[in-house]
Amino acid sequence: MAVTDAEPEAPVVEVPTIEHNMATEAATEVHPGQVGLLPRNDAVMRMSEVQMAERADAPLDDENDQTMLMNMGPSHPSTHGVLRLMLEMDGESVVRSKPVVGYLHTGMEKTGEALTYLQGPTNVTRMDYAAPFFNELAFSLAVEKLIGLEIPERATWIRMLMSEMNRISSHLLFMATNGMDLGAVSMMIYGWREREEVLRFFELVTGLRMNHNYIRPGGVAADLPDGWRDSVGRLLDILPPRLAEYDILMTGQPIWRERLQGVGVMGADEAIALSATGPVLRSTGVPWDLRRDMPYLAYDEVEFDVVVGTYGDAFDKYAIRLNEIRESMRIVHQILDKMPKGDYRATDTKVTPPPRARIDESMEALIHHFKIFTEGFKVPEGEVYAAVESPRGELGCYIVSDGGPKPYRMHIRGPSFINLQTLPHMMSNGLIADAVAVISSVDPIMGEVDR
Amino acid sequence: MGLVPGLITGLGVTLKEVVKTATKGAETVQYPHVKEDPPPRARGVIALHEENCTSCMLCARECPDWCIYIEGHKDLAPPRRAGGKPRTVNKLDRFDIDYGLCMYCGICVEVCPFEALFWSPEYEYSEPRIADLLHDKSRLGQWMDTVPEFEAYEGGAETKAKKVPRP
Repeated sequence: MAVTDAEPEAPVVEVPTIEHNMATEAATEVHPGQVGLLPRNDAVMRMSEVQMAERADAPLDDENDQTMLMNMGPSHPSTHGVLRLMLEMDGESVVRSKPVVGYLHTGMEKTGEALTYLQGPTNVTRMDYAAPFFNELAFSLAVEKLIGLEIPERATWIRMLMSEMNRISSHLLFMATNGMDLGAVSMMIYGWREREEVLRFFELVTGLRMNHNYIRPGGVAADLPDGWRDSVGRLLDILPPRLAEYDILMTGQPIWRERLQGVGVMGADEAIALSATGPVLRSTGVPWDLRRDMPYLAYDEVEFDVVVGTYGDAFDKYAIRLNEIRESMRIVHQILDKMPKGDYRATDTKVTPPPRARIDESMEALIHHFKIFTEGFKVPEGEVYAAVESPRGELGCYIVSDGGPKPYRMHIRGPSFINLQTLPHMMSNGLIADAVAVISSVDPIMGEVDR
Repeated sequence: MGLVPGLITGLGVTLKEVVKTATKGAETVQYPHVKEDPPPRARGVIALHEENCTSCMLCARECPDWCIYIEGHKDLAPPRRAGGKPRTVNKLDRFDIDYGLCMYCGICVEVCPFEALFWSPEYEYSEPRIADLLHDKSRLGQWMDTVPEFEAYEGGAETKAKKVPRP
């Protein structure tokens, strides 16, 4: 399998030095080891802003000028927020390109160092705003791993239910924006309509449509409300016929296929060398899904298929996401059957505040309540990494604790951020109109890229 | 499928939707005329029951972005029994929530140990001026009427859910 083949080769890749990065004509000195894994390494533009400005000021030379430098974004409607691409164009086709990030930098990782572990989820949930539950989940899993906290079974299954529903809503959003970026504007409204139904369920359970602060270290914020089964069941009834409509509108549509097939092709070795994850990696045929390969929560107790593509093009990335919605629905069906009874949060008094009813009758509970909220709970010294499979790929949370109630350092491995570096490789020698399809197929969420 | 038949089947799906919208009405809720009923858990606006607040500042210091402003002073109240000592009580002078900053995370409502803060599903309080989003304690108190009844405590709890204090 491709995964095991590529792993021993990976250390051979030499990291380019800083000088190498700065050189204008860096493409001429490609390390031999990189050619095999990254056949299109010269597609990456390694040019600083200064060098670009110098070229802009240079006098026009109509006879010798072959390429044109162009900025796409940062506020371009098809860049999903504020992604800026520096493109070197030869006529209509892209020769080299460079994604420039940082326009949405909010300093959330740094803010995380100032917030206690109880306040943490409300901060991290704002990173990938289309899949907020996964951020909370990665953060909570990391904290629990550091404390060594066992969470109740029901909390685990509630977390799984919410994250699978979130995968559905996030992929539906992708269906909408992918259609919109490529000119299938009615698709935007279809995708949004279905996502709205999922968001209604989120509002029923958590109280908010996004940025829920629901999954927390120690469990979840509240038990599932009455009528959650009906709400989920209704959703599972609505979705299949509507996904069948998507098949007519897009999957089987010759216009759609011609627009997407063969656009932004990437090979498996290349994707692994660029550490791409999620649908971007799976579209190249690598069956890598953390839910199956490194199970967390209770994913080893449910049955589902990992959807992989063959060609690694934009159509595969679309088709994988569409079928992942179906797989998620399959998981949700199993969760409905297997949802256990019990507590929705851990009963460890070090982490969990006392139940509301106890505060009125017991002075100790009140003191405990004050203490846990004013001081926060202490987490043992150490460092930890926990990863989950978000709709965009491996979402990891790395926490260093110095033994206090706040993380000493928190870092998020954002799948959008890492998948962005595949853009120049997928875009090279393609048309600029296809660049839009490529960006859209990676489905980056800029809030997670810049954190 | 060729290009033209593909186009026609695709248009068929959208046409079906057009007919459905024309005959059965739109999928969307026509907002100012029809209002969606938010679920009881919806975090719309925070209501304050002033009598219960002891200005312990727990909500203000736990708020991740410090959007709650509290000022208070100690006051003397008449003794409970005749001949007793006068009691010291905390009087709330100012309780403001800046909804321009609020992240609706709900931590303040959760941490309040004296049941002074509640979530209300009301959502119609947008303002043309951002400064008007700073709600003072009388404005926050008005939301108390819209607070839904408490849900029962977690499954298996013997204690019954309490009543929401009404003014």
